Amino acid sequence: MALKVLAVDDSKTIRKIVAKAFSAYDCVVTEAENGVEGLSVATRDKPDLIVLDITMPVMNGIEMLSKLKGQPELKDIPVIMLTAESGKDNVMQIVKMGVKDYIVKPFKGEQLIERVTKLFTLEPKGTTAVNEFSSPFFSIYDDIQVLTLPEKANRSTVAEIEGNFGMAVKSMATKGLSRFILDAKKTKEINMLIVKLITSIVQACEKNRIHLRFVGSAELETELKGFEETSGFAIHPSVADAKATF
Amino acid sequence: MSDINKLDLIGFAINSTRDVFQTMLSMKLNVIESRLPMKSPNKIVGCVSFAGDVMGNICVHVPTPFARVMTAAMLGMELDEVEDEGEISDVIGEVSNMIGGDLKSRLCDAGFPCQLSIPSITRGNDFVIESKGWMRHERFAFQQEGHLAMVEVFIKTVN
Repeated sequence: MALKVLAVDDSKTIRKIVAKAFSAYDCVVTEAENGVEGLSVATRDKPDLIVLDITMPVMNGIEMLSKLKGQPELKDIPVIMLTAESGKDNVMQIVKMGVKDYIVKPFKGEQLIERVTKLFTLEPKGTTAVNEFSSPFFSIYDDIQVLTLPEKANRSTVAEIEGNFGMAVKSMATKGLSRFILDAKKTKEINMLIVKLITSIVQACEKNRIHLRFVGSAELETELKGFEETSGFAIHPSVADAKATF
Repeated sequence: MSDINKLDLIGFAINSTRDVFQTMLSMKLNVIESRLPMKSPNKIVGCVSFAGDVMGNICVHVPTPFARVMTAAMLGMELDEVEDEGEISDVIGEVSNMIGGDLKSRLCDAGFPCQLSIPSITRGNDFVIESKGWMRHERFAFQQEGHLAMVEVFIKTVN
């Protein structure tokens, strides 16, 4: 499940830097401009982590932290303070208030992530879904991603395959795979839906530097020769034959 | 309490400014000591104040074209993507806040406890900030790839 992070800072710039730091991970970042807004969002969303600035108008971070600690349902949310002030009195005050950690500005997003990983395991974005990816049309054969098209393809089947294809590409990137076989041997009718699907797969493979091979019938070869994107592809009689050409 | 006249204010401010530009903007600054006020046809000035046993201001003067470059660097954007004037002001305000926050911490550690204000922004054409009645007034300019900017510090003790 995505980690819920609340960034409380009067500076839009800092909120953007915080959000950008978490953007590579499976996190949902919400924002608040001051302590009053921060408390309200914290009460509503029950975040897993609060990144809290100190110097803010309306209600500063110290006051917000003190109110947070006074509310039973919010007091255990870990807080990382951001402060422009590194003086020892300031740091002592923060530490005594029970924050999990503090970061002195200027800071880099990487520093924030490093501190957060001491408290939480951050999953890179998409990892969870990619690991759970499964589809009746996609399989792995000797480190090659294989897409086996069905006998008949209607609009909903093609839409499902298109959706799964994006997941398959991510999964390939995660596993370090770069070879893809599109097997249309079972497909009885090469209609426009199939042709469009194939051309979009060809384009995506080019974009993602994935090596693509085709398995299919003579009919498929004839159809594909009529399109600029696919005219240069050879059609192989079996997956094993296609694999041998990589 | 230490003697405010013995504080290396200019050294504090230069180190803070270098640190902020290096960390947040990945920019290395070439510092130029300057006694002259910076004149620029179009500039943005970010100021933060501190008040307590000492009172003071720290102001960062940035010509508008450089402010755009800083905004792009801080937010990881291309220069032509920087369109929002509010975004530019916010970046200059945050840079002032970080430099001011560091200076304030050094003042506190030197025995001059004080509090920091939130930043204020002044924008305009061909203006000079004249601030009177301070015990110390330090100023330095810095260059970054052809852009010239300036940091000023004003400070006095209360008692």
